[in-house]
Amino acid sequence: MIRKIKIVLVFMLVGLVAMADSTQFVMEGPEVVAMGEQFRLGFTLNERGTDLQLPDLSNFDVLMGPSTSQSSSIQIINGKTTQTSSFSYIFILRAKKEGKFSIRPASIKVGGKTYESNSLNIQVVKGQPQQSSGQQGGSQQNAQQQQDDTPSGNISKDNLFVRVAVDKTNVSKGEQILSTVKLYISQNVPLNGFDDVKLPSYEGFWTKDIDVPTQVNFTREVYNGKIYQVGILKKTILFPQQTGNIRIDPFEITCLVRQRVRQQQGFFDDFFDNYRVVKAKVVSDPVTINVKDLPNQPANFNGAVGNFTFSGTLDKTTAKSNEAMTLKLTVSGTGNLNLINPPKIELPQDFEAYEPKTTDKTMASDNGMSGSVTFEYLFIPRYAGNFTIPAVQFVSFNPSTRQFVTKSTEAFNIKIEKGKDDQNSGVVNSYSKEDVKMIGKDIRYIKQNRTQLKPKGSTFYGTIEFYSIFILSTLAFAVFYVVNRKKIEESKNLTLVKNKRANKVALKRLKEASGFLKSNQAEKFYEAVIKALWGYLSDKLAIPVADLNREKAAASLLDKGIEQDVVSELMKIIDDCEFARYAPSAFSGTMTEIYDGAAKVMGIFEKQIK
Amino acid sequence: MKRIIYTILAILFTATVFAQNDLIQKANEHYAKEEFQKAIDGYNQILMAGIESPEVYFNLGNAYYKTKQYTLSILNYERAKLLAPDDQDVEFNLQVANQKVVDSIQELPGIFIVRWWNAIVNSQTTDTWAVISIICFVVFLTMMGFYFFAKTSEVKRITFWSGCFLILFTIFSWSFAAKQKSRLVNHSYAIVMQPTVTVKSSPSEKGTNLFVIHEGLKVRITDKLGDWVEISLSDGNKGWLLTESVERI
Repeated sequence: MIRKIKIVLVFMLVGLVAMADSTQFVMEGPEVVAMGEQFRLGFTLNERGTDLQLPDLSNFDVLMGPSTSQSSSIQIINGKTTQTSSFSYIFILRAKKEGKFSIRPASIKVGGKTYESNSLNIQVVKGQPQQSSGQQGGSQQNAQQQQDDTPSGNISKDNLFVRVAVDKTNVSKGEQILSTVKLYISQNVPLNGFDDVKLPSYEGFWTKDIDVPTQVNFTREVYNGKIYQVGILKKTILFPQQTGNIRIDPFEITCLVRQRVRQQQGFFDDFFDNYRVVKAKVVSDPVTINVKDLPNQPANFNGAVGNFTFSGTLDKTTAKSNEAMTLKLTVSGTGNLNLINPPKIELPQDFEAYEPKTTDKTMASDNGMSGSVTFEYLFIPRYAGNFTIPAVQFVSFNPSTRQFVTKSTEAFNIKIEKGKDDQNSGVVNSYSKEDVKMIGKDIRYIKQNRTQLKPKGSTFYGTIEFYSIFILSTLAFAVFYVVNRKKIEESKNLTLVKNKRANKVALKRLKEASGFLKSNQAEKFYEAVIKALWGYLSDKLAIPVADLNREKAAASLLDKGIEQDVVSELMKIIDDCEFARYAPSAFSGTMTEIYDGAAKVMGIFEKQIK
Repeated sequence: MKRIIYTILAILFTATVFAQNDLIQKANEHYAKEEFQKAIDGYNQILMAGIESPEVYFNLGNAYYKTKQYTLSILNYERAKLLAPDDQDVEFNLQVANQKVVDSIQELPGIFIVRWWNAIVNSQTTDTWAVISIICFVVFLTMMGFYFFAKTSEVKRITFWSGCFLILFTIFSWSFAAKQKSRLVNHSYAIVMQPTVTVKSSPSEKGTNLFVIHEGLKVRITDKLGDWVEISLSDGNKGWLLTESVERI
């Protein structure tokens, strides 16, 4: 489709050129005239024509015409001879009434063919040259007086001024503004030249100058109902870079104006007018532009404001590893093309990517900045495989609708085959390793588990619970200690009880023994006495029976303050009992003797051991 | 033990805590959906209620990080670290966030014993140390019991020495708990909140400009006078700045 259009366009262009080569028929005239003013309307044809058909000129008086003229020139360049000739028809017209009139094309026949000229728009404003010249006559004297004092004072602000014209004063950030610096000169002020041009600084804007011819062409224009000669000094496209009210500083220019000086010194002087060049400094009024910020910008907005189309092409879809590929993204249209940041592309991880290269083919014209910007991304796939570069999105802001427009390319599928140069794989590995490291640079994810919330600054340490645990455990220990001690005490008391009970038990045993004595059972008698004695000693001295022997008992008894003879007596009784039991022949005493002895010893112990 | 205590505390604050738990869930969901601003609001609402936990500070720090408010995220990670000094995730994220800080200050190395000592103190929270000291004390009492009522000298010797160690442990862990608690209460560290702060030599506007620090930096507050605080950097530099330019951790 696009190709077809291109072909058609090319043919059309060729056609135009061909036409331009053969025959041109042009109508020329001023854009603005004053009422009653005479002006020229000219038709130019580069060939001889016949039968000129004039358009409807009923709004104008045709004062004269047509006057025809012919010119021809012959050029010989590098031996080639070209002959050009032109025929012109001039009419002198005068406007009848005020208003805007359009003159329809005229037609002429050349060799049987009819050619049409362009059409013209002519604005007719209230006539002033006549009036002003009349006034001038009256005020001439005054003006002259002033002129003597201040030579430049005569050039009033009405007659000569500079204006910075902007095509809009309410814009969005980044929207383009066409700023034109125009010099307005009243028709009767002769301008000689310029001096000291001080251009506005356009602070707060990114600027791009539009080429204007260095030789200023003056055209007629109506401003505030007056006709001026207007020269365009400078045209600039402005892109506001900040928001708020931005003031454009005034433009300053010094004009050199030729003025007639009439000196009344001599008679002849009146014949020859003296002219002198007067410097007149003109300053334009400052212009303020209100710049609005863009509404909430999407994340991938990269500063494009205007009307754009967006396309992307990949130079190849199959390649070998370690072979460079380029992705070209082109933004074309009108807007702040030079200020667009390269869109971000998401390459697969182990692709080695380079900084994008930006080339712009832009042109500044009266319609603003237009053309295209191309971003070239060079990258090298390091591994074989199938990869996808996701669709690249381009977000631009359309100032006329005040909306963001997202355009995107298609996703690109790439097939990478294994390349020959495997010796590079070592390097490649290190690349991918570094990549992995880079990916890992993010914070760890939030903690999802239910948390133990507590009041701010509260800690278990320092609370009553904390201290009370210490105190309570100490108390518990104290209680445990006291209770345990008491138990030990009580077990000590047990020996005391045993001590107290000892006599009773012993007496009981002795009673038993006395029973055996009466029934004359010697064996059992001695045994009972021995038992009674040992049991008594064990209880009394708090020594277990098993641990008890003669030496221990004697030592313990002596310890407790029992006299030696009592102890010996006890030992004798014990010895006697044992002799009587195991060697009755060696024993000479009687059972009664032993019985009495034991009772007596026990009685002594009972008194002395407490 | 710890759990029981927390349960008791939790019961005391049951009503609020349950409501807050729902809030955390909600804020976490916002975070998962990448609605970070809503998550931030949610976490802050919890903290406004006077309730905290290291997880809330950590998650809030994450949300701030995701919205590129690195200074606030550092502040919240530091607060989380204060409550959970041994958490690896907090430490990691704090390091990542600290890479966004402009100033890089070489920390004075310090004596290794002091560093080890601080590492030990910081390895547990106040409450953990408190619980450790309680356990040590209770075991100590048990040992005392064995010592007093032991029959044999062997047992007595063992219980005596272990009792001595245990009472030492109790004292140390108690003092660690006290130290951690004082860190929580005194807030002696602060984060610089203003993009650029000029540190003065004296607490007045007229003081000589000593050096310039940038937001996100952690400083230690060493003194206070009116609207001014004296700070000391980890490289040993000291100076005065306005209280409003720093936020206590």
